[in-house]
Amino acid sequence: MATTTATLTLSSADLTGDALSLSTTTTLTKAGTVTGLNQTTGVARKTTSSSSQYVLFDGDAYGNGSHKVYIKNTSAVATEYATIEINSEQMGKLYAGDWTFFPWEANADTNDIKIQPSVSTSFTLEYALFYE
Amino acid sequence: MANLRVSLNIASTDVLSSALSLSAEKVMSVDSGSLIKAKVKGTAADTNDMIVYLANDKSERAYLYIKNLETELENYVYLRNETESDTALASKLGGGEFTFIPLAPDKTYAVYATKVDTVIEYGVFGNDNSSVIYGGSGS
Repeated sequence: MATTTATLTLSSADLTGDALSLSTTTTLTKAGTVTGLNQTTGVARKTTSSSSQYVLFDGDAYGNGSHKVYIKNTSAVATEYATIEINSEQMGKLYAGDWTFFPWEANADTNDIKIQPSVSTSFTLEYALFYE
Repeated sequence: MANLRVSLNIASTDVLSSALSLSAEKVMSVDSGSLIKAKVKGTAADTNDMIVYLANDKSERAYLYIKNLETELENYVYLRNETESDTALASKLGGGEFTFIPLAPDKTYAVYATKVDTVIEYGVFGNDNSSVIYGGSGS
């Protein structure tokens, strides 16, 4: 059993009069158990040169579970973003330098995670999937 | 405007043969956001579920943090795009799990849970849209 942890830190000294300083850690486990996720794509990058939508993770390929997804837009151009779609619904847009981390339940082919770059020039996403 | 620093570190010494230590950080310029701790009453989509983000409350960009504060892993919190569907999930958080995701700012997002009164901590950060007023306009 592998042990993988994810730590999120949120901080701001000036968002409100009460300084924000949050740090939280979770261990990446399989659904409903304390058994650690033991499979991973590793940290990888995908570069595209088209604004066409593509499947980053195929729901049918990973099966039901509590997989964990990390995606980062490595672009340094502020206006370049990736639209993330999950279950054929828009989750949101990752702008330059933005990252996201979320549990993903892939229990059907329709649970694909799809990416649509905003540009048809070279565009690179970094990603990692930890799965059951 | 304020600066919000968000960072993530994923670490493991044994998920791969080579130790993993992945870090990502972004400093965002935002003008609004706060942390909220609340109980989720609803246990099914569209029935007493809780709105965590109201469509168009933020302009252009919005980021959502949610942590399921339950200690039992099987007590899930389900996050869905309320505007687009009653059933499709954006994410499913087991007890102790968190997520940080970008939202589509023109959509409403809601959560329900496995168990009544599941406690969550959440926050939405971005640039406030003054045209959308929580609690009504008072007129």
